[in-house]
Amino acid sequence: MGRTGTAMDDLLNDFLAETAEILAEAGGALVAWETDPADRAQLDAIFRLVHTIKGSSGFLSLPRVTALSHAAEDALDQVRRGHRSADAALVTGVLAIIDRLSQLCTTLGQEGVEPPGEDGDVIGALIPVDEAPAKAADMPEIRLRREDDLSTDLQGWRSIRVPLPLLDSVMTGVTDIVLARNEFARMLRDSGANPSLIASFDRLSDSIAGMRQSVSQMRMQRIDKLFAPLPRIVRDLARDLGKKIRFATSGGEVELDREMMENIRDPLIHIVRNAIDHGIEKLDDRVAAGKDVTATILVSARQSGNQIEIEVRDDGRGMSPDALVAKAVASRLLTATDARALTPKEKLELVFRPGFSTAAKVTSISGRGVGMDIVKANVEKIGGIVELRNDEGRGLAVVLRVPMTLTIISGLMVRAAGQYFAIPRGSVREILLETSDSVRIERVGGGELVNVRGQQFPLLRLETILGRARDDRDDIEDRALVLVQPGQGQSYALSVAAIHDHEELVIKPAAPIIMATGLYAGTTLPDNGRPVLLLDVQGIVAAAAIDASETGRQMDRTVEAEAAASAARNAAQLLLFRDTNGRTRGVRLSVIERVEEIPAPALFESAGRVQARIGEDIFPVHAAALPDGQGAVKLLRLHDGHSVLCYPIDTVIDIVRLPEAVLPAAVPGLIAGVVLVAGDPVELIDPFWLMEQYATGAAALSVRPPVCRIAEDHDGWGSSFLAPILRNAGYRVVSETSDEAADILLCLTGDSAACAHGGGDLPVIRLRTSVAAASPEDDTVYRYDRAGLLDALRRRVGGTRA
Amino acid sequence: MMDKLYLVARIADTRVALRSRSIHSVVAVGTPVEVPAAPPHVSGLFALRSRVFTLIDPHVVVGLPAVPVAPGQRVVVVDVAEHGYALLADEIEDVCFIDAPETRITGRLLPGWARVAEALIEHEGQSLLVVDPSHFITLPVQKAA
Repeated sequence: MGRTGTAMDDLLNDFLAETAEILAEAGGALVAWETDPADRAQLDAIFRLVHTIKGSSGFLSLPRVTALSHAAEDALDQVRRGHRSADAALVTGVLAIIDRLSQLCTTLGQEGVEPPGEDGDVIGALIPVDEAPAKAADMPEIRLRREDDLSTDLQGWRSIRVPLPLLDSVMTGVTDIVLARNEFARMLRDSGANPSLIASFDRLSDSIAGMRQSVSQMRMQRIDKLFAPLPRIVRDLARDLGKKIRFATSGGEVELDREMMENIRDPLIHIVRNAIDHGIEKLDDRVAAGKDVTATILVSARQSGNQIEIEVRDDGRGMSPDALVAKAVASRLLTATDARALTPKEKLELVFRPGFSTAAKVTSISGRGVGMDIVKANVEKIGGIVELRNDEGRGLAVVLRVPMTLTIISGLMVRAAGQYFAIPRGSVREILLETSDSVRIERVGGGELVNVRGQQFPLLRLETILGRARDDRDDIEDRALVLVQPGQGQSYALSVAAIHDHEELVIKPAAPIIMATGLYAGTTLPDNGRPVLLLDVQGIVAAAAIDASETGRQMDRTVEAEAAASAARNAAQLLLFRDTNGRTRGVRLSVIERVEEIPAPALFESAGRVQARIGEDIFPVHAAALPDGQGAVKLLRLHDGHSVLCYPIDTVIDIVRLPEAVLPAAVPGLIAGVVLVAGDPVELIDPFWLMEQYATGAAALSVRPPVCRIAEDHDGWGSSFLAPILRNAGYRVVSETSDEAADILLCLTGDSAACAHGGGDLPVIRLRTSVAAASPEDDTVYRYDRAGLLDALRRRVGGTRA
Repeated sequence: MMDKLYLVARIADTRVALRSRSIHSVVAVGTPVEVPAAPPHVSGLFALRSRVFTLIDPHVVVGLPAVPVAPGQRVVVVDVAEHGYALLADEIEDVCFIDAPETRITGRLLPGWARVAEALIEHEGQSLLVVDPSHFITLPVQKAA
């Protein structure tokens, strides 16, 4: 009896976990469908979700859940068969059912039984008003299994549900195996074992490394999951506040450690709520500001290195630095004198001060005592940063940058005081030898600073921070500077006895008494089995009591220097990899979106080309033929801002600085040239050539209408008279202030001096107000000459295109 | 039954009894790694089966000078608030069943011991202090003064 009891409990728990996920997903899907009722695929997806709940609940005999899901399924099926149209009432009705199901599931989870109750209210709300009585008289129909049912089952087989503690224990187990392997490897070396024994041990070793990799991947989840509840939140809030909002997400296929995901869920929801409540203006205000009545909120995720960037962008009013200052002064967070000394960026960052709330009055939506300070604290707790990109009057983007995984980071191992320490690779900007020519160390008033290629950094010696003496055995020649970037706009140089190497590190929190020193962010066990402390690069700033802020360090050149440094950092890195033909090749890191590992069957051949299916998308692959064999295929995802191309590789070797000297190839082709990396020749891939080969295929997928920018539109003639004509003719029209890339500039004044700077290398068409041309050379177009204008456009834009 | 099981050990030059349910295990320590700038009673970190443990020197906790760790020295492993700690033991004697009741501490102890000891227990004709290993983890706040 007890046995069946547990089996049932397991089933129920599985059901609850699955249903919670489905409900979240369905809520989001419904809202998306509401905005585009013609989207058949979305409707089918929702139908399947509801159908799955109905199926599992029937098996567990949960009559209320079954009845509710049946009602929703029924209503959706009516729509699918075209018997009913999708309207707001229907969506609200189905959402109400989803809410009721969530409540039921919560109670089920707590009490283990379905609570008694009546759901006639929500079910009744779904019945269409006009045909309510007739519907009830319908004959119950017996349906055969349809395609949808089968596909639901199929999907069920593709994945299984594993409790998290079990995953953690597998992770610990694998780490144990790795440590035991290392111990064994040492013993094997010392005993002078014969080569065949060592060779077979190496094989074991490799498979252990592979397993460790897979286990860490098991903890990764698509960020879609994090985005799933957002559409619903936006819809409900927008309705409550009487605002119109279009919500979109992108980059849902980016993967993130599920523990990280838990940690950013609340901050993300908070930021989205903030955007709706404070960022987006009221309808009248938007009209007055000349904006589209429907506001846009875009949440996107992007992977860069081992960091994930999540951006919440709205096109609302943005933030006003001066209003922020006034508010901060009024709430006594700041004196008026201090306020004057703030840079615009520092003014914006006032929102992160505890006790600061930007809403003029506390609202029920976002003013609940949880401010941006909490968001920032939560994100920083997991080693992330929050960044604001403000465009006053036109919108705000809040960017969360977090490490991909809490538990595994790429770390730089350094030595100091005869001991090893790890520094998170993500915050290392550059590594230099102290003896390098570009480094000049200066002592000023008892402190030290270092000048690197004209840029100054405060210098900290790791031994001094740790309160240790230098180790006599250290070679002075080995001393190195690590330029550390603990946060936005902060940097310092950390001097260490030597740089060891970098490793993928499994990070565990250290004991509170150790964390309390403020110098360490955790502990890790590298392959040698000796614990290593991970340095807290932000905490060191506080412990050393230095001002790491880059503001004012360089007088007027700070901004450019920062931009140049970050450009240099991004542009000058090279990813080394072994190609499928065994050659060592390199490609600029900046063109790589991510490295993807997919099962070989996900590659297929179509229209004479190899393509890869990744998630819901299909990308072209640079390969002459399908790879033989099963197993997994590693792909570099190259991204040029518009399209993606996958490049199959054997394995990633390293990331290095791109050497300055490139020996260019004789003819344009896959190989742009050869560079020397650590004395070995490396073939440099030409992403330009590669993209060109596949460009036509990609362009066909997304035909972009030519974009016209209207300039000098002082009286609104352009937007009210001209824009509709252009749109009808198939052009996209943007205003002068938009930073979207345009193909042509339409200048609404015949004065040739105007727009001269704004055009850049864009073709310009000038419109004149007088019917007659000023002179025979006058190339302006009379503004009511529709045919002449469209003709001019076709010649400048249409002609060069196609 | 378990309540009456004690680990008898010499910690910080004193024979004490530790309630067995408060202890995870007793192991031999490898070479620890130092933690610069940590509180003085933290002797270092060491790894055991891919977990990192913080090594605590009880000598410092009761007010004695720190002692160096000898490789292979035995330590008492305890879990406090989901973190693993190991107390350096001078000597591990035995795990034994002590039927005598725990009694209130009579007499004045040194301040260091007073903080960690919870009771007295009679074992083989000798009074042993019953100590709670978790009290060794944090130093008293007055350190800061």
